[in-house]
Amino acid sequence: MLLPEFEFYEPASMEDALNLKHNHGENARIMAGGTDVLVLLKKKVIVTDTIISLLKIKDLSTITKADEYVTIGACATMTQLSENPLIQEKFSAIKTACDSLGTHLIRNRATIGGNCCNASPAGDTMPALMIYDAKVLIESREGKRKIPIHEFFKGPGKTDLDVDEILTGFELPIPPENSGAHYIQLGKRKSSEINVVNVGSSLQYDPDTDKIIDARIALGSVAATPVRAENAENSLIGKNASEDAFFLAGETARKNDCKPIDDFRGSASYRQAMIGVLTKRTLQTAFEQAK
Amino acid sequence: MKKIINLTINEQAYEIAVESNKTLADLLRYDLNLTGTKKGCDTGDCGACTVILDGDAVNSCLVLAVQADGAVVETIEGLATDKGLHPIQEAFVKTGAIQCGFCTPGMIMSTKNMLDKNPNPTEEEIRQGISGNLCRCTGYQKIFEAIDCQKS
Repeated sequence: MLLPEFEFYEPASMEDALNLKHNHGENARIMAGGTDVLVLLKKKVIVTDTIISLLKIKDLSTITKADEYVTIGACATMTQLSENPLIQEKFSAIKTACDSLGTHLIRNRATIGGNCCNASPAGDTMPALMIYDAKVLIESREGKRKIPIHEFFKGPGKTDLDVDEILTGFELPIPPENSGAHYIQLGKRKSSEINVVNVGSSLQYDPDTDKIIDARIALGSVAATPVRAENAENSLIGKNASEDAFFLAGETARKNDCKPIDDFRGSASYRQAMIGVLTKRTLQTAFEQAK
Repeated sequence: MKKIINLTINEQAYEIAVESNKTLADLLRYDLNLTGTKKGCDTGDCGACTVILDGDAVNSCLVLAVQADGAVVETIEGLATDKGLHPIQEAFVKTGAIQCGFCTPGMIMSTKNMLDKNPNPTEEEIRQGISGNLCRCTGYQKIFEAIDCQKS
């Protein structure tokens, strides 16, 4: 498969990248690991005459902790995140999501920013970022802005990014005490799979009363974008952390929080049923972790 | 427009002019005649084009040649020495892990990268470590055995 001709830029600073993006406008495509962009170009799904690679901007591939926040650069790869001690310790659901994306060969190149900008409803890292209440960091020549991640996705392949803007990373609050999180992806095989359903859950509970204080549930592959299961989340707040509560949250998520479609990977009814099961399972594991 | 890049492939330095839309796989095969690296799907699904780029196994069909400027690349051609085949290659031959042979270079490069990083992988880790490489002869068990006997 031939790649079409394009101008290729590898700016070394964010300033240069933003200027290039501004000057080339809609014709320019931002690329990080290239595991999606190059495939889409080869298959002629996208057309562009300019590619701006972000990989030479060193600051974009760092994972740093400051005060109560961790900042993940847009160009951090799946392998890098998976092997990072801070991610392993505090954000285990992100590690699990990174480990389930593609194959080891893809994971060595694919980046977390790229996964989000590709905006597949079935993307692995998005539900994981959503349950940790991540904010998306966005820059343009005019300045910086920060939005909650669930507001970033606008449809398959569509995001909130303006023509001039570049996603630079994610800001995640360090999870509080007595909290836990888990991510499960369901596919027909373990590797190189596009998810049939993927679910992430996090919860925080009060060890004195055993009551759930906070819960976040994110569902993938069951709507045009990854979505938060708000009804299911609300059903948990103030309840005792128990198998019954998790089961009911799963039922709520299945009935009220998702609208899956039929396709060759799975039927809508199967997806819906699995939302119930995986929501319950992720909550249970999150609770085990929180204890 | 062509750009001049410098890279090291199998311990040999190259300076070469490449078009921006050329992949590393095509550079290796068509410009440098290193045809041991295969092209199967060309979309990062099959792993036939696996090379080790700066210490990590990658699909060379999804890396632009210009991005390999300054990189150190290992391909299947770099494994054998004057003394003979690389031990992993020997193991593939001995266990009969080769049928048509098309996936073999990719399988071996993935194996080498896995064993470089983790000399003593578990069964699960071995299967994970070659899960990006498809063998359409489906000879996975023999491939697994070849890797398993390489553990230190």
